Amino acid sequence: MPLINNKVGDDGTVGKDKALVDGKALVDSLIKVVACYRVLATCVGGCTDSLQLRDELRQTREKAQRLAMAIRSHLTSHLRDKSLPEEQRKEMEILWVGFSSSLELLHVDMCKVFNMGDIFSLSKKETRVQNGLQGGGSEVAARALSVPDLNQPQSTSLPAEFESHERSTMEKDISQLDHMIDDMEMKVNVLRWMVDPHGPQYPDPLSSTDSASLLSVDEEQPGHQPLHQRRKLFVLLLLVAVVLVVATLSICIVFFS
Amino acid sequence: MTINTMAKGGWHRDQMSCFRKMEKVIVAMQDPDMGMKMRNQRLLITVIPHAMTGRDIIDWLMKKYNICEEESLHISGLLVRYGYIYPLKEPRSLVLRPDESPYRFQTPYFWTSTRWPASELDYAIYLAKKNIRKQGELMEYEKERYSVLHKRINHTWDFVVMQAREQLRASKQRRKADRIVLECQEQAYWLINRPPPGARNVLDMGLERPNNTARVTLNSEHYKNEIDTCKRALGRNRVKSSICLEGFVKYSEQYQNHDPIMQGCLPSNPWISDDSAHWTMNLETVPTPTRLRVERWSFSFMELLNDEMGRREFMTYLEKEFSGENLGFWQACEDIKHGESSRIVEKVEEIYRNFLAPGAPRWVNIDSKTMDKTLSGIRHPHRFVMEDAQMHIYFLIKKDSYPRYLKSDLYKNMLAKGIVPQETKKSVFPFMRRQRHSSPSPAQVATQATEEGGNAKGAGQAGTNSAAGSNV
Repeated sequence: MPLINNKVGDDGTVGKDKALVDGKALVDSLIKVVACYRVLATCVGGCTDSLQLRDELRQTREKAQRLAMAIRSHLTSHLRDKSLPEEQRKEMEILWVGFSSSLELLHVDMCKVFNMGDIFSLSKKETRVQNGLQGGGSEVAARALSVPDLNQPQSTSLPAEFESHERSTMEKDISQLDHMIDDMEMKVNVLRWMVDPHGPQYPDPLSSTDSASLLSVDEEQPGHQPLHQRRKLFVLLLLVAVVLVVATLSICIVFFS
Repeated sequence: MTINTMAKGGWHRDQMSCFRKMEKVIVAMQDPDMGMKMRNQRLLITVIPHAMTGRDIIDWLMKKYNICEEESLHISGLLVRYGYIYPLKEPRSLVLRPDESPYRFQTPYFWTSTRWPASELDYAIYLAKKNIRKQGELMEYEKERYSVLHKRINHTWDFVVMQAREQLRASKQRRKADRIVLECQEQAYWLINRPPPGARNVLDMGLERPNNTARVTLNSEHYKNEIDTCKRALGRNRVKSSICLEGFVKYSEQYQNHDPIMQGCLPSNPWISDDSAHWTMNLETVPTPTRLRVERWSFSFMELLNDEMGRREFMTYLEKEFSGENLGFWQACEDIKHGESSRIVEKVEEIYRNFLAPGAPRWVNIDSKTMDKTLSGIRHPHRFVMEDAQMHIYFLIKKDSYPRYLKSDLYKNMLAKGIVPQETKKSVFPFMRRQRHSSPSPAQVATQATEEGGNAKGAGQAGTNSAAGSNV
């Protein structure tokens, strides 16, 4: 919106725009936290599983829940407001859909982590699955909590205590999330199939801001890309060599005939 | 919620027990002392630990569970097919090669689970991630599925793309070796849960596929139906297991001597000795029945009726007592029930003429209520129109004539006349075809051990001995 409009618009729309912007920011950070939680959850039960990892999971989860509460109150209050103009409502509904999908993912991840905590207890160190991971998830957790570095002192509580406390909290949290989801469905009636998203079908990789860094992540066939380039270089060299040989031969023929 | 994955009324999924067992095997493999031997996987620059060869896996299984190589190969093949171990060299070929090909354990988060099955949303996020990473170069079937998903969960597409981006950014925080491992893990997970077309879908359970797409609306109608079903279930007749087990034991005891497996066949089991004397002796139209057969007639009325010869004998007895029309009526009704549809009307007419009409030649005595019902039913004859009358007559004969028959001289003579065939002797000639090897059934060996010769069927005992003794 150009700046000049802001001055003549009434406070109501400005407030609502701000609400939209706020809501979007909250939902974006929830999506980020949920993504980090998932990446951390893939390490549970593996050889890098430790008290620290579980602690990081706990912190990430708590942050996700705080965000979820905030978004819920924010969005419910706005969506139940009958005086919301149409475009705002549409935007809010998109946010709502994003919010409920994040909650869905979070719920499944929490259930899985809870279940795996059963099988892979912290006290039994021998039962870790050796899945090839080496590093910890501290940087991921730091990203989730939006702090530059996760510099925290080693937790002094015993693994067993931590675990039992964590399990009971988690159980409560999972059921709380369940209730929240139910509640949401009851209070706000969003017709999902009517929601029109913004983005294109194929997320254009070159349009994202850090596409270059994303591309560098591609190591699926390890060594595949440098190998490809190496092969191209090799073929090129071969061609050049062949051309040279042909040239020398023709010169020799011309010379000696 | 995208496609109702957390429906409250939804059926509670449980982890399939075969998965739980496989998980236990995997956990056993992790034991630091007795577990799998791990090697390092060497890529160009990076070294990733925790790889193992196919040969190692097979050897470990053989040692741990004391099984042969073939079985070990099969079990390890199952572990790979269900995604607990994934191959590193050829990720799309989910077989276990018993050589130096490398494998790795799947992380528990990605274990196959029927409790939290992979959802469409997850798959969409994965494909979006792959699309970003590979700059649009997905496989054909992946592209198709991506567009299908785009249509199906279009409303949440913004979320899908954003989540894919965030997950990529989050995994970027990890070191390179870990990133490679994470990608391989995820790829293996999706190869199992959304297999490429043509590959076998291990999670597809065929006709037993749990199909809970029934969206039950929880309204009063539904609850009324539930209440009715529960009421009916409560009202069902129940028998205490102690009583029905007693009945079961009694039945087994009664029939034990008549069971060819338990007691052996006289003269000899045709399947083993190739001598079909046993069958010829038990034909329908044999002049003298075997004693066992006649004995069986006394067990229950249905046994008597089911045996042609028994029925004939019984009919002879009833004729003497001037109540043969009852059995005749019963037989005619059976004929209607099991006979051709085209002749039903004709047969019903005949029955009416012969048995039910006032002054009929073979008039049967049915109570008035049943008679009225049957007569009105005859106007619109169908297969089961005589059912009530037949039941009435059946119980009449059973309560009245049948016990008297069993006490009658006719039956006793039959029993005395019954043949008890001798068991075939082992052939003396060495060049005769030897009996096919038959291992004595464990039941026979047990009865031999516990029996103290109080058996009424002395021949039966001899039969057992011969059957056990003829074990070559």
